[in-house]
Amino acid sequence: MIAIGMLGLLLGLLLAYLLLDIPIPAEWASYLSLAALAGLDTAFGGWRAALEGRFHPDVFVSGFIVNALLASLLAYLGDRMGVDLFLAAVVTLGGRMFLNLSIIRRYYLNQWSLRRSRG
Amino acid sequence: MENKRVQWLIFFVIWLVVGALLGIALKAQFRLHTAELPSTRLPELARAYVQEKRTVQAMENEIRQLRQKMTELENALATGTKQTKVLNDSLQAAKMLAGLVEVEGPGIELILRDSERRPAPGSTESLLIDLYIIHDYDLLRVVNELRQAGAEAIAINGQRLVATSAIRCVGPVIYINDIKMASPFVIHAIGDPNTLLGALKTPGGVLSDIIDADPKMVEMHARDRVRIPAYTGSTQFRFAKPVPSEEVTK
Repeated sequence: MIAIGMLGLLLGLLLAYLLLDIPIPAEWASYLSLAALAGLDTAFGGWRAALEGRFHPDVFVSGFIVNALLASLLAYLGDRMGVDLFLAAVVTLGGRMFLNLSIIRRYYLNQWSLRRSRG
Repeated sequence: MENKRVQWLIFFVIWLVVGALLGIALKAQFRLHTAELPSTRLPELARAYVQEKRTVQAMENEIRQLRQKMTELENALATGTKQTKVLNDSLQAAKMLAGLVEVEGPGIELILRDSERRPAPGSTESLLIDLYIIHDYDLLRVVNELRQAGAEAIAINGQRLVATSAIRCVGPVIYINDIKMASPFVIHAIGDPNTLLGALKTPGGVLSDIIDADPKMVEMHARDRVRIPAYTGSTQFRFAKPVPSEEVTK
Protein backbone atom coordinates (compact mmCIF):
# COMPACT_ATOMS: atom_id res chain seq x y z
CA MET A 1 0.00 0.00 0.00
CA ILE A 2 2.68 2.48 1.00
CA ALA A 3 4.82 1.33 -1.85
CA ILE A 4 2.12 1.86 -4.44
CA GLY A 5 1.19 5.29 -3.09
CA MET A 6 4.76 6.55 -2.83
CA LEU A 7 5.66 5.16 -6.22
CA GLY A 8 2.71 7.02 -7.74
CA LEU A 9 3.63 10.23 -5.94
CA LEU A 10 7.26 10.07 -7.00
CA LEU A 11 6.39 9.22 -10.59
CA GLY A 12 3.88 12.07 -10.67
CA LEU A 13 6.41 14.56 -9.32
CA LEU A 14 9.01 13.39 -11.82
CA LEU A 15 6.48 13.57 -14.60
CA ALA A 16 5.53 17.12 -13.72
CA TYR A 17 9.10 18.26 -13.31
CA LEU A 18 10.61 16.63 -16.33
CA LEU A 19 7.92 16.15 -18.93
CA LEU A 20 4.95 18.43 -18.38
CA ASP A 21 5.81 22.04 -19.01
CA ILE A 22 2.53 23.82 -18.39
CA PRO A 23 3.06 27.53 -17.94
CA ILE A 24 0.80 28.58 -15.04
CA PRO A 25 -0.11 32.26 -14.83
CA ALA A 26 1.09 33.87 -11.60
CA GLU A 27 -2.38 34.55 -10.27
CA TRP A 28 -3.35 30.90 -10.71
CA ALA A 29 -0.38 29.47 -8.88
CA SER A 30 -1.96 29.68 -5.42
CA TYR A 31 -5.18 28.04 -6.63
CA LEU A 32 -3.22 25.20 -8.13
CA SER A 33 -1.32 24.73 -4.87
CA LEU A 34 -4.64 24.46 -3.04
CA ALA A 35 -5.93 21.93 -5.56
CA ALA A 36 -2.77 19.90 -4.99
CA LEU A 37 -3.36 20.10 -1.24
CA ALA A 38 -6.93 18.85 -1.66
CA GLY A 39 -5.66 16.04 -3.85
CA LEU A 40 -3.13 15.07 -1.21
CA ASP A 41 -5.86 15.02 1.42
CA THR A 42 -8.05 12.74 -0.69
CA ALA A 43 -5.15 10.44 -1.36
CA PHE A 44 -4.46 10.07 2.37
CA GLY A 45 -8.18 9.53 2.98
CA GLY A 46 -8.20 6.76 0.39
CA TRP A 47 -5.21 5.12 1.99
CA ARG A 48 -6.91 5.12 5.38
CA ALA A 49 -10.14 3.78 3.87
CA ALA A 50 -8.20 0.99 2.19
CA LEU A 51 -6.59 0.03 5.51
CA GLU A 52 -10.00 -0.05 7.14
CA GLY A 53 -11.31 -2.22 4.31
CA ARG A 54 -13.93 0.23 3.09
CA PHE A 55 -12.22 1.64 0.04
CA HIS A 56 -14.68 2.64 -2.71
CA PRO A 57 -13.10 3.80 -5.95
CA ASP A 58 -16.10 5.94 -6.89
CA VAL A 59 -16.06 7.82 -3.56
CA PHE A 60 -12.31 8.17 -3.84
CA VAL A 61 -12.22 9.57 -7.36
CA SER A 62 -15.20 11.90 -6.97
CA GLY A 63 -13.83 13.13 -3.63
CA PHE A 64 -10.53 13.89 -5.28
CA ILE A 65 -12.07 15.98 -8.06
CA VAL A 66 -14.71 17.77 -5.99
CA ASN A 67 -12.34 18.64 -3.13
CA ALA A 68 -9.71 20.02 -5.46
CA LEU A 69 -12.28 22.14 -7.30
CA LEU A 70 -13.94 23.34 -4.10
CA ALA A 71 -10.64 24.36 -2.52
CA SER A 72 -9.63 26.37 -5.58
CA LEU A 73 -13.10 27.89 -5.87
CA LEU A 74 -13.04 28.97 -2.22
CA ALA A 75 -9.66 30.60 -2.67
CA TYR A 76 -10.84 32.37 -5.81
CA LEU A 77 -14.02 33.61 -4.13
CA GLY A 78 -12.00 34.73 -1.12
CA ASP A 79 -9.68 36.73 -3.34
CA ARG A 80 -12.65 38.38 -5.05
CA MET A 81 -14.35 39.17 -1.71
CA GLY A 82 -11.23 40.27 0.11
CA VAL A 83 -11.64 37.55 2.74
CA ASP A 84 -8.91 34.95 3.11
CA LEU A 85 -11.31 32.08 2.46
CA PHE A 86 -8.47 29.85 1.29
CA LEU A 87 -7.59 29.51 4.98
CA ALA A 88 -10.80 27.50 5.45
CA ALA A 89 -9.61 24.98 2.89
CA VAL A 90 -6.07 24.91 4.28
CA VAL A 91 -7.21 24.36 7.86
CA THR A 92 -9.82 21.74 7.01
CA LEU A 93 -7.65 19.79 4.61
CA GLY A 94 -4.56 20.12 6.76
CA GLY A 95 -6.36 18.97 9.88
CA ARG A 96 -7.88 16.02 8.10
CA MET A 97 -4.55 15.00 6.66
CA PHE A 98 -3.01 14.89 10.14
CA LEU A 99 -5.97 12.88 11.42
CA ASN A 100 -5.81 10.37 8.58
CA LEU A 101 -2.08 10.07 8.86
CA SER A 102 -2.29 9.38 12.59
CA ILE A 103 -4.83 6.62 11.97
CA ILE A 104 -2.64 5.16 9.25
CA ARG A 105 0.37 5.34 11.58
CA ARG A 106 -1.54 3.60 14.38
CA TYR A 107 -2.62 0.84 12.03
CA TYR A 108 0.94 0.06 11.02
CA LEU A 109 2.22 0.32 14.60
CA ASN A 110 -0.47 -2.11 15.71
CA GLN A 111 0.45 -4.54 12.98
CA TRP A 112 4.09 -4.30 13.88
CA SER A 113 3.54 -4.97 17.57
CA LEU A 114 1.14 -7.83 16.75
CA ARG A 115 3.78 -9.39 14.53
CA ARG A 116 6.39 -8.99 17.27
CA SER A 117 4.26 -10.52 20.02
CA ARG A 118 3.49 -13.43 17.70
CA GLY A 119 7.23 -13.47 17.23
CA MET B 1 -9.54 -10.55 -7.32
CA GLU B 2 -10.17 -8.59 -10.52
CA ASN B 3 -11.98 -5.93 -8.49
CA LYS B 4 -9.08 -5.67 -6.07
CA ARG B 5 -6.63 -5.07 -8.89
CA VAL B 6 -8.77 -2.24 -10.31
CA GLN B 7 -8.80 -0.67 -6.88
CA TRP B 8 -5.02 -0.75 -6.67
CA LEU B 9 -4.80 0.75 -10.11
CA ILE B 10 -7.13 3.62 -9.19
CA PHE B 11 -5.23 4.17 -5.98
CA PHE B 12 -1.99 4.34 -7.91
CA VAL B 13 -3.37 6.66 -10.56
CA ILE B 14 -4.74 9.09 -8.01
CA TRP B 15 -1.40 9.31 -6.23
CA LEU B 16 0.20 9.79 -9.61
CA VAL B 17 -2.13 12.69 -10.36
CA VAL B 18 -1.57 14.19 -6.90
CA GLY B 19 2.15 13.99 -7.47
CA ALA B 20 1.83 15.65 -10.86
CA LEU B 21 -0.39 18.40 -9.43
CA LEU B 22 2.05 19.00 -6.59
CA GLY B 23 4.91 19.07 -9.04
CA ILE B 24 3.22 21.63 -11.30
CA ALA B 25 2.23 23.75 -8.30
CA LEU B 26 5.74 23.67 -6.85
CA LYS B 27 7.19 24.52 -10.22
CA ALA B 28 4.81 27.46 -10.62
CA GLN B 29 5.61 28.75 -7.13
CA PHE B 30 9.31 28.32 -7.77
CA ARG B 31 9.03 30.31 -10.98
CA LEU B 32 7.12 33.03 -9.11
CA HIS B 33 9.85 33.32 -6.53
CA THR B 34 12.61 33.43 -9.11
CA ALA B 35 10.66 36.15 -10.92
CA GLU B 36 11.12 38.12 -7.68
CA LEU B 37 7.42 38.51 -7.11
CA PRO B 38 7.41 37.89 -3.36
CA SER B 39 3.85 36.62 -3.30
CA THR B 40 0.54 36.81 -5.03
CA ARG B 41 -0.98 38.25 -1.84
CA LEU B 42 -1.97 41.88 -1.91
CA PRO B 43 -0.08 43.40 1.08
CA GLU B 44 3.26 42.14 -0.15
CA LEU B 45 2.58 43.28 -3.68
CA ALA B 46 1.68 46.69 -2.30
CA ARG B 47 5.00 46.82 -0.49
CA ALA B 48 6.81 45.78 -3.63
CA TYR B 49 4.96 48.48 -5.53
CA VAL B 50 6.05 51.18 -3.09
CA GLN B 51 9.60 49.88 -3.26
CA GLU B 52 9.59 50.04 -7.05
CA LYS B 53 8.16 53.52 -6.96
CA ARG B 54 10.98 54.64 -4.71
CA THR B 55 13.50 53.09 -7.07
CA VAL B 56 11.92 54.95 -9.99
CA GLN B 57 12.14 58.18 -8.02
CA ALA B 58 15.79 57.59 -7.23
CA MET B 59 16.48 56.86 -10.87
CA GLU B 60 14.72 60.03 -11.96
CA ASN B 61 16.91 61.96 -9.58
CA GLU B 62 19.91 60.30 -11.11
CA ILE B 63 18.73 61.23 -14.60
CA ARG B 64 18.36 64.81 -13.47
CA GLN B 65 21.86 64.87 -12.02
CA LEU B 66 23.41 63.19 -15.02
CA ARG B 67 21.75 65.58 -17.44
CA GLN B 68 23.01 68.49 -15.34
CA LYS B 69 26.49 67.03 -15.43
CA MET B 70 26.22 66.62 -19.17
CA THR B 71 25.45 70.32 -19.53
CA GLU B 72 28.46 71.17 -17.41
CA LEU B 73 30.69 68.93 -19.49
CA GLU B 74 29.37 70.40 -22.71
CA ASN B 75 30.15 73.86 -21.39
CA ALA B 76 33.64 72.79 -20.38
CA LEU B 77 34.21 71.31 -23.82
CA ALA B 78 33.09 74.53 -25.47
CA THR B 79 35.75 76.69 -23.80
CA GLY B 80 38.17 75.80 -26.63
CA THR B 81 37.64 77.29 -30.06
CA LYS B 82 34.99 79.74 -31.17
CA GLN B 83 33.44 77.05 -33.35
CA THR B 84 32.74 74.71 -30.46
CA LYS B 85 31.37 77.59 -28.45
CA VAL B 86 28.82 78.48 -31.13
CA LEU B 87 27.90 74.81 -31.43
CA ASN B 88 27.42 74.52 -27.69
CA ASP B 89 25.35 77.67 -27.48
CA SER B 90 22.88 76.34 -30.02
CA LEU B 91 22.86 72.98 -28.22
CA GLN B 92 22.03 74.65 -24.90
CA ALA B 93 19.27 76.69 -26.55
CA ALA B 94 17.78 73.52 -28.02
CA LYS B 95 17.92 71.81 -24.63
CA MET B 96 16.15 74.77 -23.02
CA LEU B 97 13.40 74.53 -25.58
CA ALA B 98 13.16 70.78 -25.13
CA GLY B 99 12.75 71.20 -21.38
CA LEU B 100 15.87 69.21 -20.50
CA VAL B 101 17.31 71.84 -18.17
CA GLU B 102 15.98 73.10 -14.87
CA VAL B 103 15.00 76.74 -15.30
CA GLU B 104 13.96 79.62 -13.08
CA GLY B 105 12.55 83.06 -13.56
CA PRO B 106 9.56 85.25 -12.79
CA GLY B 107 6.18 83.61 -13.26
CA ILE B 108 3.02 82.47 -11.60
CA GLU B 109 1.69 79.72 -9.40
CA LEU B 110 -1.79 78.45 -10.11
CA ILE B 111 -3.49 75.93 -7.85
CA LEU B 112 -6.56 74.09 -9.04
CA ARG B 113 -8.37 71.78 -6.64
CA ASP B 114 -11.62 69.84 -6.54
CA SER B 115 -14.36 71.73 -4.74
CA GLU B 116 -15.12 70.74 -1.17
CA ARG B 117 -18.76 71.45 -1.80
CA ARG B 118 -20.77 68.24 -1.67
CA PRO B 119 -24.19 68.84 -3.19
CA ALA B 120 -27.00 67.05 -1.40
CA PRO B 121 -27.99 63.85 -3.21
CA GLY B 122 -31.05 64.36 -5.36
CA SER B 123 -30.65 68.14 -5.61
CA THR B 124 -30.30 69.79 -9.00
CA GLU B 125 -26.77 70.74 -8.01
CA SER B 126 -25.85 67.08 -7.64
CA LEU B 127 -26.60 66.59 -11.34
CA LEU B 128 -23.85 69.08 -12.07
CA ILE B 129 -21.22 67.36 -9.93
CA ASP B 130 -18.81 67.49 -12.87
CA LEU B 131 -18.59 71.24 -12.39
CA TYR B 132 -16.96 70.78 -9.01
CA ILE B 133 -14.11 68.59 -10.19
CA ILE B 134 -10.93 69.57 -12.00
CA HIS B 135 -10.76 67.64 -15.27
CA ASP B 136 -8.00 66.84 -17.70
CA TYR B 137 -9.50 69.26 -20.19
CA ASP B 138 -9.39 72.05 -17.62
CA LEU B 139 -5.65 71.49 -17.31
CA LEU B 140 -5.25 71.25 -21.08
CA ARG B 141 -7.02 74.54 -21.63
CA VAL B 142 -5.05 76.26 -18.86
CA VAL B 143 -1.76 75.00 -20.33
CA ASN B 144 -2.81 76.16 -23.79
CA GLU B 145 -3.79 79.57 -22.43
CA LEU B 146 -0.50 79.92 -20.56
CA ARG B 147 1.52 79.04 -23.66
CA GLN B 148 -0.53 81.49 -25.66
CA ALA B 149 0.31 84.17 -23.08
CA GLY B 150 4.00 83.51 -23.54
CA ALA B 151 4.83 80.99 -20.83
CA GLU B 152 8.33 79.67 -21.48
CA ALA B 153 8.26 76.70 -19.14
CA ILE B 154 5.34 74.96 -17.46
CA ALA B 155 5.20 72.23 -14.83
CA ILE B 156 2.20 70.58 -13.20
CA ASN B 157 2.89 69.08 -9.76
CA GLY B 158 6.58 69.07 -10.59
CA GLN B 159 6.17 67.39 -13.97
CA ARG B 160 7.75 69.48 -16.70
CA LEU B 161 5.57 69.77 -19.77
CA VAL B 162 7.50 69.17 -22.97
CA ALA B 163 6.60 68.73 -26.63
CA THR B 164 5.69 65.07 -26.12
CA SER B 165 3.77 65.51 -22.85
CA ALA B 166 0.20 64.32 -22.64
CA ILE B 167 -2.48 65.22 -20.12
CA ARG B 168 -5.04 62.50 -19.93
CA CYS B 169 -7.87 61.52 -17.60
CA VAL B 170 -7.83 57.89 -16.38
CA GLY B 171 -10.70 57.19 -14.00
CA PRO B 172 -10.31 59.31 -10.86
CA VAL B 173 -6.75 60.44 -11.67
CA ILE B 174 -4.97 62.38 -14.37
CA TYR B 175 -1.83 61.13 -16.06
CA ILE B 176 0.77 63.77 -16.87
CA ASN B 177 3.94 62.46 -18.54
CA ASP B 178 2.56 59.01 -17.55
CA ILE B 179 2.66 59.99 -13.85
CA LYS B 180 -0.57 59.64 -11.89
CA MET B 181 -1.88 62.80 -10.25
CA ALA B 182 -4.96 63.98 -8.44
CA SER B 183 -6.27 67.27 -7.06
CA PRO B 184 -4.78 69.66 -6.02
CA PHE B 185 -2.87 70.54 -9.19
CA VAL B 186 -0.09 73.07 -8.65
CA ILE B 187 0.85 74.63 -11.96
CA HIS B 188 4.02 76.67 -12.25
CA ALA B 189 4.74 78.76 -15.30
CA ILE B 190 7.62 81.08 -16.17
CA GLY B 191 6.79 84.18 -18.14
CA ASP B 192 5.62 87.73 -17.58
CA PRO B 193 3.49 87.36 -14.42
CA ASN B 194 1.02 90.10 -15.37
CA THR B 195 0.44 88.75 -18.86
CA LEU B 196 0.01 85.21 -17.55
CA LEU B 197 -2.39 86.22 -14.78
CA GLY B 198 -4.27 88.47 -17.17
CA ALA B 199 -4.75 85.61 -19.60
CA LEU B 200 -6.08 83.36 -16.86
CA LYS B 201 -8.42 86.00 -15.46
CA THR B 202 -9.98 86.94 -18.80
CA PRO B 203 -13.75 87.14 -18.34
CA GLY B 204 -15.29 84.20 -20.11
CA GLY B 205 -11.82 82.66 -20.26
CA VAL B 206 -10.55 79.21 -19.39
CA LEU B 207 -11.11 79.49 -15.65
CA SER B 208 -14.39 81.42 -15.54
CA ASP B 209 -16.64 78.32 -15.47
CA ILE B 210 -14.64 76.89 -12.60
CA ILE B 211 -14.65 80.15 -10.65
CA ASP B 212 -18.39 80.46 -11.21
CA ALA B 213 -18.92 76.99 -9.79
CA ASP B 214 -16.78 77.56 -6.70
CA PRO B 215 -14.19 80.34 -6.37
CA LYS B 216 -12.29 78.25 -3.83
CA MET B 217 -11.24 75.84 -6.57
CA VAL B 218 -8.82 78.38 -8.05
CA GLU B 219 -5.89 80.12 -6.43
CA MET B 220 -3.26 82.11 -8.33
CA HIS B 221 -0.29 84.25 -7.43
CA ALA B 222 2.43 86.12 -9.22
CA ARG B 223 5.88 84.94 -8.16
CA ASP B 224 9.21 86.72 -8.48
CA ARG B 225 11.03 83.47 -8.80
CA VAL B 226 9.61 80.20 -10.01
CA ARG B 227 11.75 77.12 -10.31
CA ILE B 228 10.74 74.52 -12.87
CA PRO B 229 12.44 71.12 -12.91
CA ALA B 230 13.86 69.45 -16.00
CA TYR B 231 11.97 66.75 -17.83
CA THR B 232 13.10 63.31 -16.68
CA GLY B 233 11.19 61.11 -19.09
CA SER B 234 12.50 59.38 -22.17
CA THR B 235 13.97 61.44 -24.99
CA GLN B 236 14.34 58.54 -27.39
CA PHE B 237 12.67 58.72 -30.77
CA ARG B 238 11.46 55.34 -31.97
CA PHE B 239 9.81 56.30 -35.21
CA ALA B 240 10.79 59.78 -36.33
CA LYS B 241 14.09 60.22 -38.17
CA PRO B 242 15.57 63.47 -39.42
CA VAL B 243 15.27 63.96 -43.17
CA PRO B 244 18.71 64.20 -44.87
CA SER B 245 19.47 67.84 -45.59
CA GLU B 246 19.63 67.49 -49.41
CA GLU B 247 16.06 66.15 -49.42
CA VAL B 248 14.54 68.87 -47.29
CA THR B 249 11.62 70.40 -49.17
CA LYS B 250 12.35 73.87 -50.41
